[in-house]
Amino acid sequence: MELGKALFNIAALADLGEEITSEKNFQEKLHSLLHVVLGTFLASRGAVTCQDRSGDTMAFVARRGFDDLSPAAIDLGRIRSAGKNEPFLNADDAALAAAGVEVVTPLWVRDEFIGTILLGRKFTAEPYSREDFELLRVISHQVAITLNNHALFLNLSEQLNDNRKLYEEMRRIYHDTLQAFAAAIDAKDMYTRHHSQRVARYASAIARELGWSDHDIEGIYVAGFLHDVGKLVISNELLNKKTPFTEEEKAEIRRHSLVSYKIISQIKFPWKDVEKIIKHHHERLDGTGYPDALSRDDLSEGAKILTLADSFDAMTSERAYRRKMDLRSALIEMNSCLNLQFDDKIMLAFCRVLDKEIKGELPEPDILPHLGRESDLTVISAMLEGLIEELSGQKDGG
Amino acid sequence: MNPSPFQVTSRLVKDVAVVYPQGYLNNLAGEGLVSECSRYARTGIKKVVVNFGKTDLINSIGISLLLHVMEELQAVEGTLCFTDMSKVQVDIFEMLGLSKFFLFFPDEDRALQFLNVRER
Repeated sequence: MELGKALFNIAALADLGEEITSEKNFQEKLHSLLHVVLGTFLASRGAVTCQDRSGDTMAFVARRGFDDLSPAAIDLGRIRSAGKNEPFLNADDAALAAAGVEVVTPLWVRDEFIGTILLGRKFTAEPYSREDFELLRVISHQVAITLNNHALFLNLSEQLNDNRKLYEEMRRIYHDTLQAFAAAIDAKDMYTRHHSQRVARYASAIARELGWSDHDIEGIYVAGFLHDVGKLVISNELLNKKTPFTEEEKAEIRRHSLVSYKIISQIKFPWKDVEKIIKHHHERLDGTGYPDALSRDDLSEGAKILTLADSFDAMTSERAYRRKMDLRSALIEMNSCLNLQFDDKIMLAFCRVLDKEIKGELPEPDILPHLGRESDLTVISAMLEGLIEELSGQKDGG
Repeated sequence: MNPSPFQVTSRLVKDVAVVYPQGYLNNLAGEGLVSECSRYARTGIKKVVVNFGKTDLINSIGISLLLHVMEELQAVEGTLCFTDMSKVQVDIFEMLGLSKFFLFFPDEDRALQFLNVRER
């Protein structure tokens, strides 16, 4: 082979490599590969066919010309029986001959038949040479691998998609189970219906405002649902008692956060520290909470969020022993407990998210829909703005 | 250095379409060259001059696209002229045996003269 032609063939292989590794979409890539093959062998007609996954039918994945050729008319048995990736001159297949196909190359990867490259006569009317067939064999091997990789990628994508659907379904069942479980907890106390659900939503709204990741937000949402699971072991009579608790009864009630922790610790959650967040939702920054009397620096952000969310819902809900607070009174109460019970950073996030909900800046509000309608939201918004300014100043000033 | 993006412009000089591919004739954007020539062929123009003065390089995809142009003009018994090609490009077309399907001219003026077109 003369030097010029050898260099041209090497350049063609380089073109092929460039197209195979390009970031084009698969259809464009095949179209370009076909052009590389046509330009290399000076054929004005050509096609790449690919076998479907059932192995029964072929389809054109790129073609120029051969418009009258139906893939169904191609004798696959004859092509499969030829050598792997070995081009041959078409002599026997009448359908291919009628369409003008002169050279057929069966594409194989290992023991799997992938498809074919079909080429028409050369534009120069010269016959295909032995060197052409050698080069076409190399090119065919690369095209076969490209087609096979794409098929593998599609299989993986389908599996991934199936797994994702399965995961979403399991996740939905999981959340439904949690809701049912939370409903069972809340049903013990006629005054705390939907309490767990509200705490879950309030806590996740605060976490979102603080910039938590979706994964961690889901974790605190679950913690909100389950934080009172320990109340299942406390008697209904005690939970619904209308007169003040005795010290002994208070101690019994306070057991619930530790019991919740013990129950939840048996579950292997995909979220970090759910059981600890639940255990510490009655701790206080001043170290007078329970069960471990931890102080500010020992408490996680999650525990501080759940504490505030739980307390806010308790304040704004009816209880057996007291009437519910209006929103303004609850905010005043929470503000008075800053740095004793509630962390100012969490309070700031809570005020911000509630203010955004009142101003309609959040498409799916989590807090506002659960509050009574007796408050004047213009007044509340002004109050929140003041709190936000005050808390922001404290935060900036250290 | 990244090759410049491929683009095609053209003008009609009497009954001759002069087409100016610009950039690296190596990708599917080069199909714009084919469609430009086809557009003229459909209006009955049978003489096409392709000025390669601003085409850096032609690879196997570019050759495939030019085969298409040659085939279209062959079908209408038209005349295809290539001008302003580098020596490397001319050598490749001769080596591949394609030079008999079009005419080479050093520049566009000489191609138009050959086609009996005088610009005013």
